[in-house]
Amino acid sequence: MTDKRFEQRRTVLKGVISASTLALVATSGLLLPQRVLAHWPTDAFNSKTVEDALLALLGQAEIADDEMVKFKVGSPPSYAVNGASVPIEVQSSLKDIQRIAILVEKNPNPLAMSLELSPSVKLPFKSMIKIAEDSLVIAVINAGGKLYKTSRMVEVDIGGCA
Amino acid sequence: MALKAKDRIRAKLKEDETTVRLLLAHPMHTGRGKNEVGELIPAEFIQDIRCWRNEDEVLTIKCGTATAKNPYFSFQLAGGKLGDKITIRWVDNIGAKGSAETIVG
Repeated sequence: MTDKRFEQRRTVLKGVISASTLALVATSGLLLPQRVLAHWPTDAFNSKTVEDALLALLGQAEIADDEMVKFKVGSPPSYAVNGASVPIEVQSSLKDIQRIAILVEKNPNPLAMSLELSPSVKLPFKSMIKIAEDSLVIAVINAGGKLYKTSRMVEVDIGGCA
Repeated sequence: MALKAKDRIRAKLKEDETTVRLLLAHPMHTGRGKNEVGELIPAEFIQDIRCWRNEDEVLTIKCGTATAKNPYFSFQLAGGKLGDKITIRWVDNIGAKGSAETIVG
């Protein structure tokens, strides 16, 4: 008799637990397609400061400035008429580059893009980014386990982070 | 109806390097922009771009919202030969996918 009651209680408990987990999963947005991309570093891209983004992405935020990274933003350099598409170019003489991150300090979410390079990829890498207002643009390179950084101040006529 | 823009990819062999240029057709909404009526446009941006040469994965680009509309990328691959196949695939934050491929010329 007692056994049966226990069993019932168990099934009820089980039901409650699974239902609440399901509700949790649904509300936390785990079922949304973007969460399927577990390899997209959500924390890094959603962080609000450069330090947080670097910490989340690379595990450290202390980086020495380095001349080995050549880095161009805007055309003409350091100036952009339209912040919605600012050309950038990253060039470096470093060997064994594993990762490049590009950050815009004043953007709502500073991390603009993060590249994972295989040994066969050679720089320069060129792309276009959005810059909200006059801001420091930072390129961080992880080469051979060390981090190198270069930054440029860019002036923007029309903010482009809409 | 407007013609649907296509993802474009070009790969060119020059001396010892293959230059790959890539132009994706994507609005890249950050989720902060507004439309004509003043309503917020929901976020829609490419998150992940992968690039293969033949069977080898050579480059992964993770994008945040700060990547410009119709993203453009250009990079070099060491070595390579005529006839190599360069393939890229992208996924955005709402799950839309796209791909493009070209032969090195």
